[in-house]
Amino acid sequence: MLPTAILDELRNAVGDHGDGPQRSVITAQNQLQTYECDGLTNFRVLPAAVVLPANAQQVQAVVQVCARHGIPFVARGAGTGLSGGALPVEGGVVLSFARMNRILEIDLANQRVIVEPGVINTHVTDAVAAQGYFFAPDPSSQTVCTLGGNIAENSGGAHCLKYGFTTTHVVAMDVVLPSGEVVTLGSSAPDAPGYDLLGVFVGSEGTLGVATRITLRIVKRPEAVQVLLAAFDTVADAAQTVSDVIAVGMLPAAMEMMDRLSAAASEAAAHPNYPVCEALLLIELDGPETEVNAQMQQVTELCQRNRSWEVRVARTAAERALIWKGRKAAFAAMGRISPNYIVQDGVIPRTALPEVLDEIARMAAEVNLRVANVFHAGDGNLHPMVLYDQAIPGQEEIALDLSYRILYLCVDRGGSITGEHGVGKEKQQAMGYMFAEPDLDTMQRVRCAFDPASLANPGKVFPTPRLCGEKAGPYTQHPLQAAGIAEIF
Amino acid sequence: MEQVVTPTNLEELSSLLRTCNQQQRAVEILGAGTRRHWGNPVAATLGIQTTGLSGVQEHSWQDLTATVAAGTPWSTMQQALAQHGQCVALDPLFATRSTVGGVVATNDSGALRLRYGSLRDLIIGITLVLADGTVARSGGKVVKNVAGYDLQKLMTGAYGTLGVIAAVNFRLHPLPRSVASWTVGATEIAPLDALRHALADSTLVMEALQLRTTSSGFALDVQFGALASTLQDHAERLHFLARPLQPVPAAAEVWQLREQLFAPEQATAKVTCQPAQLAALLPLIANSGGTAVAQQTGTLLAALSAQPGLVTQLRQRAEQLGGALQLLAWPAEVAEAPPRWSEPRGAIALMREIKRQFDPQSILNPGRFVGGI
Ligand SMILES: Cc1cc2nc3c(=O)[nH]c(=O)nc-3n(C[C@H](O)[C@H](O)[C@H](O)COP(=O)(O)OP(=O)(O)OC[C@H]3O[C@@H](n4cnc5c(N)ncnc54)[C@H](O)[C@@H]3O)c2cc1C
Repeated sequence: MLPTAILDELRNAVGDHGDGPQRSVITAQNQLQTYECDGLTNFRVLPAAVVLPANAQQVQAVVQVCARHGIPFVARGAGTGLSGGALPVEGGVVLSFARMNRILEIDLANQRVIVEPGVINTHVTDAVAAQGYFFAPDPSSQTVCTLGGNIAENSGGAHCLKYGFTTTHVVAMDVVLPSGEVVTLGSSAPDAPGYDLLGVFVGSEGTLGVATRITLRIVKRPEAVQVLLAAFDTVADAAQTVSDVIAVGMLPAAMEMMDRLSAAASEAAAHPNYPVCEALLLIELDGPETEVNAQMQQVTELCQRNRSWEVRVARTAAERALIWKGRKAAFAAMGRISPNYIVQDGVIPRTALPEVLDEIARMAAEVNLRVANVFHAGDGNLHPMVLYDQAIPGQEEIALDLSYRILYLCVDRGGSITGEHGVGKEKQQAMGYMFAEPDLDTMQRVRCAFDPASLANPGKVFPTPRLCGEKAGPYTQHPLQAAGIAEIF
Repeated sequence: MEQVVTPTNLEELSSLLRTCNQQQRAVEILGAGTRRHWGNPVAATLGIQTTGLSGVQEHSWQDLTATVAAGTPWSTMQQALAQHGQCVALDPLFATRSTVGGVVATNDSGALRLRYGSLRDLIIGITLVLADGTVARSGGKVVKNVAGYDLQKLMTGAYGTLGVIAAVNFRLHPLPRSVASWTVGATEIAPLDALRHALADSTLVMEALQLRTTSSGFALDVQFGALASTLQDHAERLHFLARPLQPVPAAAEVWQLREQLFAPEQATAKVTCQPAQLAALLPLIANSGGTAVAQQTGTLLAALSAQPGLVTQLRQRAEQLGGALQLLAWPAEVAEAPPRWSEPRGAIALMREIKRQFDPQSILNPGRFVGGI
């Protein structure tokens, strides 16, 4: 609980005098529960208060109150994050952007849209679709997640293979620093003089401050889109097809893969009429019509050369939508084949795919669990889903352990512990596996410049929080290069 | 400069910097020196040159990634990558002479930025050495990766003031297969700007789109990159959009014209703005006898006669439009050079604090950067 005097300051900051139709500061226990976790539901913390500012000035006023009293705060968009990024801090404040959901400006001549952080991802595209434009980053959660969450996580989606991640599509931002000061990062013009603090802020998971106004880049919708579905007997054949497509110089809009288990679950959930096979490849091409037609022909041949026994090109928009519906249902569909599951998010070099999948299967068999796989195959981003039953004593721990070991496997094969879901609370310790101490210390220097008092989303991203000013000596060797890989947590 | 040292490996570089830091000795970081004058002069008695750290260290051509030592000449890197039909899809200035580290530290870009993005979009990991000798890495070798802060973006365009870039991990692209370039000329900017807008607002696949001054007015150059059959279609659509102007096949050198804007007796400036504002800046430059090449992405290079007033006037106009002007070259014999940098908009205190955290004694390229950082 925060002292009444501080709660009054927070109420003042957002103009909540207890007489309006809606409260802007929430402290009632039962209402706070709505905010106790994000999409990673096994971590829960009750905040002291939730504040709902209506504009940037109010956000600044709230952060100033927090700065004055040393109260930690956590920004929250739609709470769909999958790594515990929006998990509250005990005794801290949650800043919800639910009421800051206005599109402020549309500038088609310069292909820019300016939004408040609470705007939902698809609403940007909705606002410019009639003029033939779209906002490219497309997380599967795009109909609910917010731009504030997207910039904090540097979210991606199936079409990022061609169009790039959120960071490619943000050009400027107003940010309230943890001190309560407001700064503008980046500019509508390219290459703003000074350090690229915008580039650092994107993907910093709410640990460097709070965005209140975001300038986005929009993209012209391509003339034609085609989707192809191909069935393979082995993951290796499907993976080789992905490499071959890239090798001939094509950059498809999306290349997604599902293994037998996840394709079967999606079939049961969404009835996309998928062929039953070991590996299902979904390739979307977009661009000028003549080019898409020619390339689709070429992709079909590459699939067949790699022994695909069924290649299906969607003929209508409805067929296309159905194919995608199955892919997008993949996570939720797991509920049909397993009581519980853990979604992971690792990245490997694309060429390591067959080998890593074999290894995952071996590791799963060793502990008698099943792992279903969907992945953004074009960029090597795996989403292994570890299936388990909470009702069986001890199985959850085994499943969690397996899911972390899969991440370490990704690091061992030259990859990363997260491609799009972020580190948050979930993967802090894995950061120590992927990066050496000096790497993490160097990142801390950025943190200390932005947030010396560690008030913005503290206790996330980094494995061992250090106080600013505390310094370790310089190191030179990376632990993965130095003898073996073992590390203790 | 009293002395220049050229470390040949990471350990040497690290211990050299550690010693300088202990002695509080300022150092100037040098690549090939092609962009040494792009920032403020540095008062240092020691130069550390990166050219001893050279070569493509790893080229995972099937994954379209590569790790390249910072002292590698840009075109040497491109030749090595071309053996597998790949490249870093960026066309910086002075490619044959520049080092990779120098291009990255100054965040240079060219015409291809329209299609492939800037270095921000092409760098996936970095190895750097801090002032105190710490060797740190960020990012990685995979294209998709959100683990930890994106230090590679912080280092790109930091002019060597936060750390020495030792190696860079790039995402690669296949070498463009078939391209076709067209030029449309006119005496006035307005019809060309309308065409520029029409192209940007179209679904045509462009590698590059630039507006420039010419001896008889202005010109627009566009490069399409697509399958041969599509190039034909694009050419027809260009002719339609351009009416009544007549596109002609572009001369090969139009995409290298930027380099001609550096001439000994002239001032050269990089000006930034939003695409729709280019048409306001180009005539201003032309009317004062200058020449300019501008990209659809909003970066413009201008050659002006070396009069401080001209530079100041153009800078003010760019800043009014939300952009900036950086002076890249100024003849040594003309006194009263205007400031190299536009004043940064906001966040300068935060930038100084970043500098203090990374280089507390300010030994790395002191004073070179924005705001005297
Ligand atoms: C079914 C499902 C599918 C998903 N699919 C994808 C996918 O395909 N790709 C993908 O990348 N992600 C995916 N996600 C994860 C998630 O949707 C994204 O991370 C999304 O960007 C989070 O947005 P949000 O508004 O819910 O943010 P929240 O979960 O509320 O917050 C996420 C982080 O952003 C910070 N934050 C929020 N607003 C601000 C602000 N204004 N300023 C600073 N920091 C802020 C929070 O503090 C927190 O750290 C999926 C999630 C679900 C549940």
